[in-house]
Amino acid sequence: MPSEERRAEILKNLSDGVVEYEEDRVKEWSNIAVDEGLDAYDAIMNGLAAGMEIVGDLYDRQEYFVPEILMCADALYAGLDILKPHMKMGSVTDVKGQVVIGTVQGDVHDIGKNLIKMMFDVGGFTVHDLGRDVPLEKFAEEQLRTDAEIVALSAMMTTTMMGMKKVIAMIKEKNPNVAIMLGGAPVTRDVANLFGADGYAESAGNAVQEAIKMIGQLRKLKEGGLSAG
Amino acid sequence: MATMTSKERVKKFLKREPVDTMPIFSGMGMVTIQAINKMGIRFAEVHGSEDYLARSATISSDLYGFDSVVVPYDMCTVPEAMGRGCSLYAEADGVLYPTVPSKWEDLAAVDISSDYATKARMPTVEAALKKLISEGKYAVGAWVLGPFTMGGQVIELDLLLKGIKKDKEGVEAFMAKMTDVVIDVAKRYQALGADYMTIREMGSGTDLLSPRMWKQLIQPYLQKIFASLESPKILHICGGTDLIVEMMNDCGADALSFDQKNNLAETRRKIGNDVLLLGNFDPYGTLCQKDASEVEGVIKNCIYAGVDAVWPGCDIWPEVKPENVEAWVRTVKKFGRQPTPAVGRL
Repeated sequence: MPSEERRAEILKNLSDGVVEYEEDRVKEWSNIAVDEGLDAYDAIMNGLAAGMEIVGDLYDRQEYFVPEILMCADALYAGLDILKPHMKMGSVTDVKGQVVIGTVQGDVHDIGKNLIKMMFDVGGFTVHDLGRDVPLEKFAEEQLRTDAEIVALSAMMTTTMMGMKKVIAMIKEKNPNVAIMLGGAPVTRDVANLFGADGYAESAGNAVQEAIKMIGQLRKLKEGGLSAG
Repeated sequence: MATMTSKERVKKFLKREPVDTMPIFSGMGMVTIQAINKMGIRFAEVHGSEDYLARSATISSDLYGFDSVVVPYDMCTVPEAMGRGCSLYAEADGVLYPTVPSKWEDLAAVDISSDYATKARMPTVEAALKKLISEGKYAVGAWVLGPFTMGGQVIELDLLLKGIKKDKEGVEAFMAKMTDVVIDVAKRYQALGADYMTIREMGSGTDLLSPRMWKQLIQPYLQKIFASLESPKILHICGGTDLIVEMMNDCGADALSFDQKNNLAETRRKIGNDVLLLGNFDPYGTLCQKDASEVEGVIKNCIYAGVDAVWPGCDIWPEVKPENVEAWVRTVKKFGRQPTPAVGRL
């Protein structure tokens, strides 16, 4: 196990590598983390994901724009590919849950959806990605097939966002105990509430916290023997 | 009382000659579901027929008193002609616009045949334009996607966006190809006799690109396009544009069009009164969602912000509420009689 000082150095290099979109640097320090026995989950959350939080701030301040975000995401995935296989099974790092994710039919924008997917990957979820332009009934079918706790829907246009309401109704009819999260440029928390969703991802950054909260609520309901519907 | 025909009004307006009243028109789709229903067809059927395209455009303008007709409605015609296909969603409930299902895998794979303009629905669109032009009833607007937005239809957008930093030469070569296509198609439509041309570079706003990147990657190609085209020619960009309005104004267009994200009053202050500004209400919110009583306020805000003509910020979503469209048209007729910053009145 590395010393506290060495741990901090490894994490900083992982974080900076993501922020500076230096894939080679992230790969190098991910391998160092593995070689020196740093806990992989620690490296992912406090190195890579921490870097992505800084990237989110830079985006909010309009210093970074979408091209930079995408390259930072590539750097993060470069590290994730090395570190994830080394994650120990245990209470902290257990798979948090399963998520079905996709962009609704008629919408072929998926950059935002892919960033959310990345954060779910980082957060320890198993993600079933349906892609983009997904026929509405496919979300319900995939949820039933995988028994995913969460279905995350994305739409980048106001007009395709309207399909989300239909998907929610389809899924809830078949399985009221599924938590549904909405996201995308035209979506707001008010729209999510109006459509009957259980969660709303304002950004990639808060999608995972929202998902963990939703699953926590679901588990409490299950333990209490109550349905979510 | 109006003293001009619709066509005259729009043509004079775009030359900044005095008009009788503010024209009610757009450079983007204005088809309405009421026209589609009147024709007894489904929305998905309209895109592949010159007759349906022309009639649905004309009937929409007849029903509501628009001064223009604009075809086509979807953004797939040129990509489809390049071999990228088109998903029409013929079986879907409600209205879904066609999308491009198949993109080139990388910049190096892009291969555009020399006869693309004769393929897929390109002849259909040109035939529809010819029909509308020969009818002469309304001003006929043609449009083409700008090169970056066109590029995003035929190649994965993230490849293009990352390529800006990782493969600058490849992206520049790709943008040059797209620019040549845009010029070619726009010139074809102008040669048919379209009354005005809108270049829609909607994918390039600051929601995606930094202003610095916009200047390097987008502006030079738009400048080339506008230098190649006859007037009247309009540049439209949706999304974040407040940071790039001055650069947009340097592209060589005769008019600039914005959507509801633009601070139009601020844009007018930055650019001055010698530029035609068009915009900028939220078409879906205003015409499909709001109560009709709210529409007058929205349209008046556009006029007071300093537009020369009230344009929707993007295509009208066809499933409009009739009373909302009527309120839009009524408000422009009532409050559009005064001169605007760049256009006087008879």
